[in-house]
Amino acid sequence: MTDLLTVEDLRITYPTRQGPSEVVRGVSFALGRERLGIVGESGSGKSQTGRALLGLTPAPGIATARRLEFDGIDLRQASPATWRALRGIRISMVMQDPKYSLNPVMTIGRQIVEAYRTQKGGAKTAARDRAMAMLEAVQIRDPSRVFNAYPHELSGGMGQRAMLAMMLITEPDLLIADEPTSALDVTVQLEVLAILDRLVADRGMGLIFISHDLRLVSTFCDRVLVMYAGRIVEEVKASDLANARHPYTQGLYTCLPRIEGSQRPLQTLQRDASWAL
Amino acid sequence: MISREWLLTDQPGSRRQARYGQAFRTWLSLRSNRLAMVGFWIIAALIGIAIFAPWIAPYDPVVGGDLRLDRLIGPSWDHLMGTDDQARDIFSRVVYGARLTLLVVALVAVIATPIGLAVGTTAGYFGGWVDVVLMRITDIFLAFPRLILALAFASALGPGIENAIIAIAITSWPPYARLARAETLTIRETDYINAIRLQGASSPRIIWGHVVPLCLSSVIVRVTLDMAGIILTAAGLGFLGLGAQPPQPEWGAMIAAGRRFIIDFWWVATMPGIAIFIVSLGFNLLGDGLRDALDPKGRK
Amino acid sequence: MNLIEISNLDVTFGSFANTVAAVRDVSFNVAAGEAFGIVGESGSGKSTVLRAICGLAPVTGGTIRIDGQPLKTPRDAGFYRRVQMVFQDPYASLHPRHTVDRVLAEPLAIHGFANAETRIEQALADVGLGHGFRFRYPHQLSGGQRQRVAIARALILEPKILLLDEPTSALDASIQAEVLNLLDRLRSERGLTYILVSHDLAVVAHMCERLLVMQHGRTVEELTRAELQGRRAQQPYTRALLVASQGYVGQTPTLEKA
Repeated sequence: MTDLLTVEDLRITYPTRQGPSEVVRGVSFALGRERLGIVGESGSGKSQTGRALLGLTPAPGIATARRLEFDGIDLRQASPATWRALRGIRISMVMQDPKYSLNPVMTIGRQIVEAYRTQKGGAKTAARDRAMAMLEAVQIRDPSRVFNAYPHELSGGMGQRAMLAMMLITEPDLLIADEPTSALDVTVQLEVLAILDRLVADRGMGLIFISHDLRLVSTFCDRVLVMYAGRIVEEVKASDLANARHPYTQGLYTCLPRIEGSQRPLQTLQRDASWAL
Repeated sequence: MISREWLLTDQPGSRRQARYGQAFRTWLSLRSNRLAMVGFWIIAALIGIAIFAPWIAPYDPVVGGDLRLDRLIGPSWDHLMGTDDQARDIFSRVVYGARLTLLVVALVAVIATPIGLAVGTTAGYFGGWVDVVLMRITDIFLAFPRLILALAFASALGPGIENAIIAIAITSWPPYARLARAETLTIRETDYINAIRLQGASSPRIIWGHVVPLCLSSVIVRVTLDMAGIILTAAGLGFLGLGAQPPQPEWGAMIAAGRRFIIDFWWVATMPGIAIFIVSLGFNLLGDGLRDALDPKGRK
Repeated sequence: MNLIEISNLDVTFGSFANTVAAVRDVSFNVAAGEAFGIVGESGSGKSTVLRAICGLAPVTGGTIRIDGQPLKTPRDAGFYRRVQMVFQDPYASLHPRHTVDRVLAEPLAIHGFANAETRIEQALADVGLGHGFRFRYPHQLSGGQRQRVAIARALILEPKILLLDEPTSALDASIQAEVLNLLDRLRSERGLTYILVSHDLAVVAHMCERLLVMQHGRTVEELTRAELQGRRAQQPYTRALLVASQGYVGQTPTLEKA
């Protein structure tokens, strides 16, 4: 299997008053058509990594890499035209809160149709049919109502599904999902994950799932990268997470309270300065 | 010992150190903005000139020279900005005029800001009929053009610089009240206000100790930006004869006096005009810079 | 002896035609020294129950009694000395322009407590923050440190009852463990009574002896910790929550939505 995405030695630097500070420090991984999880706490650089893959590092940050290749295209030297042909078409991104990613003054349907037609062109009616089919595919029970609704008229779960529909209508090869379910209730969360799961299985899409929720990632993804202070400290098979070797991963896992009863007081994470080196 | 390290420490050891440190950070952020510093130095120069006017001005601002020889002389090394029709040195008058300008600006700020803050935060915090009554009063004041309203007050109170200041102050608080109210409406819903309510704090305590400090920065910015307008209103009142009375060296009144011979002796009206322009610009630049420096969200 | 008795609580927002019933007919009792959990998803009304107790939301029906006494509206100073609250988002619950010192001194000044100096130092020590934090501003603190300050603020008046509104949901997992341990220790040291609201069953199972499951403003069921741990929930909604809390399980679980 050839790799869809190859990242080697990705570094993201921000200038500060005290001199440059690296928030991502040499991240390397390869992604096939699989579900890859990136787990870490706030400030670990996991979201920065996700954005850098799309060339969306917020200013004044600077992202550099020894190798950054998507399906044979070198993303480091990508021109604005190349990016336009990739973003939202071959690589899509879903963010945490649909409220901030959807245009508040345009109906959901128009946004999805527009996303489709900018890439594939074609007649309005055809695009409309595709959009309705997509809304159905993301398990929206009443697609025509959602099609004509404005973002504020939808609940969080609905909004996130509409967002997914918009991101997926162009049939991307790679989806980067940054905490896509964190703003949702647990029961809705699972339904959204099931949609993603099916898309990976049916279409052979690659998925990078960025989350702080170790339990969710370990049950959902195939492979997990654990990030700490801008580095990948461990890569494990998701099913083996309970037997992780790195003390940080172990600590993250054991500090979660469990319904079945957990030790009292809870184990806390004793951070070791050497992890950040 | 106040050192840079002492001010910028992450672990201040006393209330005083925490407050100074915070102020120093604001200053650092202001200092990194070049245009704001231009404004800052203009205002600093204005204050310096006002304080040291007797030493800077080469002539008396009120008593002119020889009316036969020294009237309406163009700018020269003896009279940097020329002389006016009373044979007075315009440079000296502009220098002394800085005092009047500063007086107007300072008094209006001191009178109008607290009124605006008090009305706005009270209306916003309580809502309901308190809000309706206070805001309708504010609307009445806002309904008239400022200069016209100031003109009405100034003519009712009688001409003179003190009355002009009062008239300007009375007419300039409504925008601050509006601004403070809008800010208060969002602040009062936050959890830190809920938290202090749950500590059993009284409404005046919450408004004064918790709401006002948060409205203060945006109101200060607005007042600073308005200073240019206030100076112009004062000048306008002076120009119309309702502000400072002759022979006081008020910039607006000086322009009014110079307009009769603006074609033949342009410097008489132009020099105080340039002074008004520079000071207005200074306040505008400083206000813009303060907006960035005082924004708590924008700072790390 | 029940310290807190809530019977048939209704909370309705809005007026005339535009009303929203956030809480409908909710009843429960909490014994002194107990930790009681309320679990639900967004819009279940779980936080509104807490807000109704402390007077931030209007009680439109039913009664709330503490120590057998019905609460007065508005709440009096004595109430605030017995009941305090910790909010969900530590980034929003501390005044951005007040130092930690000011945050802690304010309640002492309101209630006229003597020797503020020693009490503030003690309160900081109790929540595991040293003297070095006393004169910092909130923006100089991490999320976990802020939540510790919020807990110190709630405890400085020495209340008997602490209302906790999702106190750890905005924090990283490792920080959550530290804050939960802190809350646990403070409860046993001071004999506090907790009402803890959370969307996370595991957190509630860890912290509380009994819990109430809420959905759409109504009670679904009341469970003990043992019943929860033994997964002996009666209602399908609670069972769905239990399944969901295990993480992703392969295919879409069929959820019954009331």
